[in-house]
Amino acid sequence: MSITSNPSRTSRGKLSSTVPAEQLAEIRELFEERRKGFSLDAPFYTDPTIFGMDMQGIFQKNWLFAASVAELPEPGDYVTVEYGPTSLLIMRKDDGGVNVLHNVCRHRGARVLTAPSGSTGNLVCGYHSWTYSPEGDLIHASAPGETEFDKSCFGLKKAHSRVYAGLIFVCVADEPPTDFDEVAKIFVPYLEPHDLGRTKVAYQQNIVEEGNWKLVMENNRECYHCDGHPELACSLFPTWGLTEGIVPSHLEEVWDRNKQAENSLEERCRRYGLPYEVVEELDTRIAGIRISREPLDGEGESFSPDGHRLSKKLLGNLRDFRLGRCSMHLQPNSWFHFLGDHVITFGVFPINEHQTLVRTTWLVADDAVEGEDYDLDKLTHTWKQTNIQDKAFVELCQQGAGSPAYEPGPYMKSEYQVEAFINWYVQRMQEHMA
Amino acid sequence: MTITTTSIEVPEPQRVRDFVMPWNHTLSANGPAANAARALGPWHPQEFMAECVETIPEAGGLKTFVFRRLDGAPLAFRAGQYLNIAFPIHGEDQDPVDRSYSISSAPTSPWTFSITVKRDNGGLVSPWIHDHVEPGTVLDMLGPVGAFHLPDVERRPRYLLLAAGAGITPIMSMLRTIHALPGRADVVVLYHGAAPGEFGFAKELEYIANVDDRIQVFYSLGDRSVPENWEWMLGRLTAQMLEQVAPDANGRQVYACGPEGYLNHAADLLRKVGVDDTSVHMEFFSGDRKTLLEYQEEISLAEDLAEEYAEEAAEQTNHFAETQPAELQLFQPAATDIDTEAEVEAEAVADADTDAPVDDSDFTSVGEGTLTLSFIKSRIKLRIDPTERILGPAQRAGVRIGANCQEGMCGSCKIVKISGEVEMNHQGGIRAREIASGKFLPCCSTAQSDMVIDA
Ligand code: FES
Ligand code: FES
Ligand SMILES: [Fe+2]
Repeated sequence: MSITSNPSRTSRGKLSSTVPAEQLAEIRELFEERRKGFSLDAPFYTDPTIFGMDMQGIFQKNWLFAASVAELPEPGDYVTVEYGPTSLLIMRKDDGGVNVLHNVCRHRGARVLTAPSGSTGNLVCGYHSWTYSPEGDLIHASAPGETEFDKSCFGLKKAHSRVYAGLIFVCVADEPPTDFDEVAKIFVPYLEPHDLGRTKVAYQQNIVEEGNWKLVMENNRECYHCDGHPELACSLFPTWGLTEGIVPSHLEEVWDRNKQAENSLEERCRRYGLPYEVVEELDTRIAGIRISREPLDGEGESFSPDGHRLSKKLLGNLRDFRLGRCSMHLQPNSWFHFLGDHVITFGVFPINEHQTLVRTTWLVADDAVEGEDYDLDKLTHTWKQTNIQDKAFVELCQQGAGSPAYEPGPYMKSEYQVEAFINWYVQRMQEHMA
Repeated sequence: MTITTTSIEVPEPQRVRDFVMPWNHTLSANGPAANAARALGPWHPQEFMAECVETIPEAGGLKTFVFRRLDGAPLAFRAGQYLNIAFPIHGEDQDPVDRSYSISSAPTSPWTFSITVKRDNGGLVSPWIHDHVEPGTVLDMLGPVGAFHLPDVERRPRYLLLAAGAGITPIMSMLRTIHALPGRADVVVLYHGAAPGEFGFAKELEYIANVDDRIQVFYSLGDRSVPENWEWMLGRLTAQMLEQVAPDANGRQVYACGPEGYLNHAADLLRKVGVDDTSVHMEFFSGDRKTLLEYQEEISLAEDLAEEYAEEAAEQTNHFAETQPAELQLFQPAATDIDTEAEVEAEAVADADTDAPVDDSDFTSVGEGTLTLSFIKSRIKLRIDPTERILGPAQRAGVRIGANCQEGMCGSCKIVKISGEVEMNHQGGIRAREIASGKFLPCCSTAQSDMVIDA
């Protein structure tokens, strides 16, 4: 953290930023002694102080995934999101852009909007009805007898936002990392053809996992455990994460099928001018990313038992249903699957050191009709089941981290992305503490 | 600290993206459509008489017969539909023989229309048509009939049109329609014929494919022997052939017309290359008993509908005639059964208008003024002047309305009007959407008429 001689008003009175020197030294040491290629020491998953530092060092510094434009289709629509102690409201403006404001009333700090989503004109705090414009300016506060009250000093605080390919990202840091715009240049060409601006939310699932946010992310970054996902195994090649040399014999046949599917997918992508190459910079930059377009098993169209499409309306201007899945991993809190017929976004919202909200949103073309073009249960089946299974895995690990016998274990070759995530995390935190 | 909020998703003005049939506008308009536009709408089957005005010999033993309705009205149909025509083969005093023929012309030129008939020398009807129908021949017709047609509006107008032999007729209508209309489209035609000279409409197809870069046409020569100068494909339909002409077939809507064997074979292949069953539309021009019975059913249903509509039309024409110049009477179509959402809503509002202040005996009346506001939950009738803001008098009369800013900013006083007009001067406390759905802010509104309010 860089110490400025003239600390801004906003950092005043934050006790949490000053972890006692002794404890801080201890935590520093934990970071320094982290054994590469091994899972983290238990306190990283269980300690409230480290959680607080995670919120400062990761969630108050980096670009975070918040929602997609389909969740706030019209002017005045908003969603509220929470990253640990930070609550933001994301609102669609009249001109089509989005505003991101801190959901903290400037009177006495009440949450201004309490619903997870909705639609509103001006923003009215429920406590004493201070009223803010959609831009966050305080435009009304009844002030009987007040003579020197200057409304212009009490607007809602703003946060940075970016909308790329229909995904809304936020950053609450004063000076956000600058490489995110470069990373957007990488992923936008992959995602834009799916035209999220012309999609709608078919379903949204919120689950609270009893696990540290890092365990949720680690679990997502490997498919070593994919035997535990029978539904997903129908369409996702279980060879994911493996490379030529390390394919176990029982997967050889699948490996070949995967190769073939890959070839025909690449041919299709070339035909339609869709990028498919793997770009992987998970821990080599601040806005860590992995993106690629990969084949799906069976008919190769969607996450269904036979790989057949789950919605009959193609997204955007795509011409073909057999486009596998364009998948993106972003550090620190999101992953996505973009298919020909639907898109699934996953956002990770830490609650405390042992609880994390995982929000999964299924998007289909906005002219797709439920019951006619898609069956909601079928559309959501695979990932609903997979999420429940993953929740259980994460919770097992959280319990393990809390037990006296726990010690860090080795990540296997197929878990290189987990290592990359942890390595990314450690680097960011060390920068934060420096 | 510099805060930047970017507005990247500003919606751009859009060019015509969707492919829209001209009558779709009429279908979705609220008010009564202009009569000419109405006449173009593919509303319903009718029984009418039509006169042959021209015959055009085509390649492949086909002949096109151009008709116009005797009543002078345009023929409204959707590209791909057919007509059921009575042919007096055994003389005028005997029962005519009914046959169905696809319309080969486009609904975008509706004042005349054509059918294209292949001469089948072993058959009873087609040779008679070829030999006897000529300019001046008048026939009884029923139509349009059939569910095999292009959609009225399509965001993804990507089609694969498959035709074999005389199956080109409805496909030709579709192609002419698409060619005539603006909008994005991506059309691939694969046309199977028996011999090089037997592809009907060959010249026009070549022309359209040349001038319209949205349309590609491919030919294949069935399984016959090949003459030397044939440059197109050879052989029956195969999966490979489909992949070759339309590698993105699985993302297209497929319309196919031809003999039964060809279509069944095509259905298998389409499944194989990944076309979803629900994206395949077929018209059989020959078929087993079941298929034929289905068509018969379609026709008899069309007959019933036509009768119903004719009766309605007759009724309407009576009072319509009073207000219209005589020659327009012919154009008066029957009422449509397509209720747009807006119409339904308008009706609902109209209903509310008439029966809202139902039993007002237990309403308390307060105030003085020229207008009456009936608050139906509070059972209060408030008399008010058109210059007075509504909130204060309403609250004082005992209507429970939350309020805070009193300036139209906070939205806390928002209530719903069931009828009547207000003039509102708000400052962002309400969204255009909410206003459209009947909400208003009484703190910054004055009444413009008597009102019924849901509060
Ligand atoms: S805390 Fe929001 S108005 Fe008082
Ligand atoms: S009282 Fe605030 S909008 Fe009416
Ligand atoms: Fe998993």
